[in-house]
Amino acid sequence: MKNLYRPIESVIEDIKSETPNITTYRFRPKEPISFEAGQFVELTVPGVGEAPFTPSSNPNITDTMEITIMAVGTVTEALTKMKVGDTVGIRGPYGNGYNLTDFEGKEILIVGGGVGLAPLRSLILALFDDVDKYKKISIRYGARTPEDIIYKDLLPEWAQVKNTEVLQTIDQPHPKWTGTVGVITVLLDDLPLLTTVDVEGLPFSPETAVACVCGPPIMLKFVNIALLEKGFKPENIYHSMERNMSCGLGKCGHCMMGEFYICKDGPVMTAAQIAEFDDPF
Amino acid sequence: MARGFYVNMGDDHPSALGVAPSGFREKSDTPFQARGLARMKEVFIGSENLLKLIGRWAKDHRVYVPVTFDIMNNEETPDYDLVKDALPETIQLHGAAPAHSAKTFVFYPREVVANYPSSDAEANVEAPSTVVVGPRGCDVRGLAKFDKVYWSTKHFTEEHDDPFIIEKRENTYIVSIDCTAAKETCFCTAVGGKPFAEEGFDLNLSPLGTGCIVTVGSERGDGLLAGSDDLLREVTQEHKSERDKNRASVTEAVDRQNAQFAVEQPYDKRDLASSEDAWAYVTQNCVGCGACNRVCPTCTCFLLVDQRAKGGYERSRNWDTCLSIGYARTGGGGNSRPALAQRLENRLRCKFEYSRDRYGLVTCTGCGRCIDACMGRIDMREAIKHVITEKAKV
Repeated sequence: MKNLYRPIESVIEDIKSETPNITTYRFRPKEPISFEAGQFVELTVPGVGEAPFTPSSNPNITDTMEITIMAVGTVTEALTKMKVGDTVGIRGPYGNGYNLTDFEGKEILIVGGGVGLAPLRSLILALFDDVDKYKKISIRYGARTPEDIIYKDLLPEWAQVKNTEVLQTIDQPHPKWTGTVGVITVLLDDLPLLTTVDVEGLPFSPETAVACVCGPPIMLKFVNIALLEKGFKPENIYHSMERNMSCGLGKCGHCMMGEFYICKDGPVMTAAQIAEFDDPF
Repeated sequence: MARGFYVNMGDDHPSALGVAPSGFREKSDTPFQARGLARMKEVFIGSENLLKLIGRWAKDHRVYVPVTFDIMNNEETPDYDLVKDALPETIQLHGAAPAHSAKTFVFYPREVVANYPSSDAEANVEAPSTVVVGPRGCDVRGLAKFDKVYWSTKHFTEEHDDPFIIEKRENTYIVSIDCTAAKETCFCTAVGGKPFAEEGFDLNLSPLGTGCIVTVGSERGDGLLAGSDDLLREVTQEHKSERDKNRASVTEAVDRQNAQFAVEQPYDKRDLASSEDAWAYVTQNCVGCGACNRVCPTCTCFLLVDQRAKGGYERSRNWDTCLSIGYARTGGGGNSRPALAQRLENRLRCKFEYSRDRYGLVTCTGCGRCIDACMGRIDMREAIKHVITEKAKV
């Protein structure tokens, strides 16, 4: 029988610093790994352990995989000491991704906070591959300070893509920042809705629009509230759930939330799926 | 010919629990439905002959039997020991369940599951043919959780079948034994169980004064009797009456001690979402040691640990405890259950609610081991009663 716990050897091909503690790595696995946007993999730092990450690269590319990682724990700290040419392990993909066929013909709101934009990038790139299928792609991104913004060079490029807009905010005023200031929900306050009179830009139809949200738990909580207030349907709000997905196989139990295994039923879950929990984030 | 002694227990023998006899696997939507044999067969074996039979098994298999150890205290709770050249003198087939549950034989406390960087795509599993004599009804029911979690079901696709559990399950014969006594902590009948197994075994032993009734639960269990016709006799009506009397009396004893913990909510319809105070109350003596997880026949969770090893690195799978603070902690330091009371609540609700909602199984089998093992003397029967009572007050 196939060994589920075996990592596939993967060589670090490129390392790009995004912020002082966030780095994008490009890996080349010895066996191609295909995934859907939103699914995650387990990344092994040899001898240290594994941690779950959602790839940041285009899911339509299978021979290499990019992952943007913030150094916050044992595995991620150990990863920062590795160099181009070193070998790590990857196994997966696991869990449910976004069902992009459901997104067709709809407005898509993408809300990212901090390093939470990283997993959304693979979704964004997948959407861009078929950009004509979607009415509108609105990317709204919040970071703590201008230094904490990831994909600084990519964001302006994304804004040039057809039917796509990119809005940004930072949490606190900063001398280098002339744009919007405030936590991420300020970018939702003036969300143009079909129901609003005199809207500028392409409005969202809250009945059908899709929202994909990823960021720290506290952000998910308040974005969820804001979107529900705007009239978004719980079944159309997709959250990236953060739990300790250790085996990725629905067995080890670490990511359980009630009867759900986030590694199996998630990591992308709709607000409708998690409505039964008082504080699912 | 022993076959001639077998008694037909009927083609409609109940198999509602869904425990697959080990080594029995049907490819279908419900691979865990016990197919067993069309009819259960029974035979009698005298006490001396039973020991001979176990001795014969030991020639071809690793055989574990319950023995009593008198360590540090005077309580003689049996636990499993490997049969080597001779049967252990303190072999004990009577009484209540051994200290460890049967899970230990299919889910090792620590096991290497991968070597890397270079490793085979195929799993390298060591699973020698093993006969485990001694699991009780509660233990056999407990194995159903392992089948659900580690074997493909409607939810877990075959792609995620776990070779380490499955190969051991397939190579482990379960020879269960009827309880002939109840521990003070036994409560199987309060959670839908019985102090004897009705399915999910390869052979079942019902101890009597002069020997045992052996019930055959699977084809391969039948194989354990092959070539041993000289040791077997026909089951008589007296044997069966004695067994039924024993079963009824142990059932009654368990029922009697359950009475003081009775609650209105049926065991399979529990809602333990009680107040924070109620859970804090039952947690006050908990130190989060995880002893309950280790002895529990249905705690399936594990921790993967990577370390250096010969030729590179190895990944081991280790029994884990959901009571530890790091269990649900994420890389960034987030924790969905930072308080011990939340973690104990999670453990007990996992047994009654989450497993039921996920797998259709209430996974507390009433073996009472968590009560025996708890250094804080937390009695889960009292805990459940407390949270339900407090909930009702709101």
